[in-house]
Amino acid sequence: MLQQLKYAFVVKIRNFSIVFWPLLFPLALTTLMYFSVGQMDESDFDTIDTAVVYEEVQDRGNAENAVTAQKSGNDRFLQYLTAVEEDSDLIRVRQMEDEEAVKALEEKEVRGIYYIKGEDLSLTVSENSLSSSILESLLTGYEEGRQTLENVMKYHPEGLDEAVKMLGEYGTAVEYVSLGGNTTDTTAQFFYAMIGMACLYGCFIGFGCALWLQCNLTALAARRCVAPVHRLRVILTEFAAGFGIHFVNVMILLAYMKYILRLEFAGSYLSMVPVAFIGGMFGVAMGIFVGSIGKMGEGIKIGILIGVSMLLSFLAGLMNPQIKVWVDQSIPVLNRINPAAVISDALYCINVFDSPERLGQDMIILTAMCILMVAGAFLIVRRERYDSI
Amino acid sequence: MIIKIENLVKRYGSLVALDHLNLEVKEGEIFGLLGPNGSGKTTAINCMLALLKYDRGSIRIFGEEMAPDNYRVKSQIGVVMQDVAVFEELNVQDNIDYFCGLYVKDKNKRKELVEEAVRFVGLEEYRKIYPKKLSGGLLRRLNIACGIAHKPRLIFMDEPTVAVDPQSRNKILEGICELNRQGSTIVYTSHYMEEVEQICSRIAIMDHGRCIALGTSEELKNMIKTGETVTIEAVILEEEDLARIRELPHVFDVSYKDGTLTVRCTGARHNLLRILEYLQSRKIPFGRVFSELPTLNDVFLEITGKQLRD
Repeated sequence: MLQQLKYAFVVKIRNFSIVFWPLLFPLALTTLMYFSVGQMDESDFDTIDTAVVYEEVQDRGNAENAVTAQKSGNDRFLQYLTAVEEDSDLIRVRQMEDEEAVKALEEKEVRGIYYIKGEDLSLTVSENSLSSSILESLLTGYEEGRQTLENVMKYHPEGLDEAVKMLGEYGTAVEYVSLGGNTTDTTAQFFYAMIGMACLYGCFIGFGCALWLQCNLTALAARRCVAPVHRLRVILTEFAAGFGIHFVNVMILLAYMKYILRLEFAGSYLSMVPVAFIGGMFGVAMGIFVGSIGKMGEGIKIGILIGVSMLLSFLAGLMNPQIKVWVDQSIPVLNRINPAAVISDALYCINVFDSPERLGQDMIILTAMCILMVAGAFLIVRRERYDSI
Repeated sequence: MIIKIENLVKRYGSLVALDHLNLEVKEGEIFGLLGPNGSGKTTAINCMLALLKYDRGSIRIFGEEMAPDNYRVKSQIGVVMQDVAVFEELNVQDNIDYFCGLYVKDKNKRKELVEEAVRFVGLEEYRKIYPKKLSGGLLRRLNIACGIAHKPRLIFMDEPTVAVDPQSRNKILEGICELNRQGSTIVYTSHYMEEVEQICSRIAIMDHGRCIALGTSEELKNMIKTGETVTIEAVILEEEDLARIRELPHVFDVSYKDGTLTVRCTGARHNLLRILEYLQSRKIPFGRVFSELPTLNDVFLEITGKQLRD
């Protein structure tokens, strides 16, 4: 068995086409995705137009004196907003009169209006959305900061300067966070789906293994079929060799993401290795299974593999993460049996949900499907004779 | 009997590839399956190896029904496929080691067998060479080494000399005889009658999936009327001359085409002399003269009415 395994490894490693595509294609696609999706995230973000209305100024009927009013105590909020505006593209602040601001809100020229009336601050928004959440967060953050400063001034006036400085060094104003406390990032979802696809691409290595199992496909397979080696042993040897190579492929992809592209997932890369392990195993098993079914020619089977792997990856959100969400809502069972979605989900569990139970379920599903594929391949080729060779 | 095939029928759709084929192969012989391309030789071999389904009949090897999972029988068989079946990614030595390893688990024993196989096919200088760099003849030799390295009791060789240079062909044929001397029974298919005649102890001539004649080379030749074929080139004959030649004793077939006269006679003495005497008596000039004893092609021709190489 070891001798057979050794040669199975050597043959596959020296077979350029077997190793080339399952390794290079995901690497190339990841690179393209990195440059397109990553930048898309930045370019597609809309800065939130925000109106600021001084009700005191309006009361005097003279909006032109707003600049003077900024120097008063309640202008600290405007300074805060201006600092946010200058430091990031999160908001764009425009001072307006009440009527003008309301009209702009109705026409969606602005997403919210901050009313400043003495020490009282309020926010008016037209709809519940990401923008309104961000504006509300800014207001809440300011209120909390002001409260803190008042407390510091009251009880530790000597530390006021330091407190002001610390509050000024705000980070990202708003983050989506999961129940597990990790940041959710739509860009990361693409890369989870990409890892899923890379795992599935092991099917091409598996298919190469199957070519040496079916005597109607190659003379070499026919020669091996007449040898006195149990079919299950042949399949397992091929599977082990194919998987060994593919696992290295997936590890190279993860290393590429980590060290070259410097993609940061919330969880550690190390914790993603078991998922890549099982996922890669499934990919190879799927290739062996598809390679073993039916009496179709090599070209047709390769077509099936490409089609199936791309469809599964598409449904898992490779092209658009919303597809996976849609499948989750419409046909949830599909995502539980779609290996690409299960792999993606397992990576999501590690990086976002912090849900060991669900991760365990995903791993069990993948392992079960893997066993089914290998067993299916064995049952098909076990006693198979062919109509023609 | 080491192989017993009874009433084997194999159809490819409406085409009958094997038509109630009956064959028996005895232990220790080189059994030749001779026939033109498409006569069913390879199909018969593939059925015997349990690679192909068949519609009717039975195949027993070493007294056991042959099946894809009959590993006991398979372990005693060696196969040299018609198409070269080696790994492009492994060198000569590793290829032989791989295939030998499918049968022999013991590493030391395998090493000896591989070494022996390399020497047997004369590939000592090519151990580390990859198949892509081998000539057609050397590749065929490697194919043979992969099939026989484990010293099987029964060897199937399906046209192992196709597209092989004369030097390699002789080497291969000598090797087959040597394997047989070492105790292996060999089933050898070919459409080269000279090869089959040269090495096979018994021959089955196949056509359209049937065994149309079976026996030793001599037995097969004795089955037919032809005892001698006389060919005379560059001769100009009239219809009257051809009629006179047909009337000569022991002549049973006369053909004349493009100035070449071919006379087939039964196995008797002085056939050539009588024909030449007639030509001289009529003062008919002629060119080169050949006299041939019957070949397997004559057997095939007489039974089927067509040449073996058609």
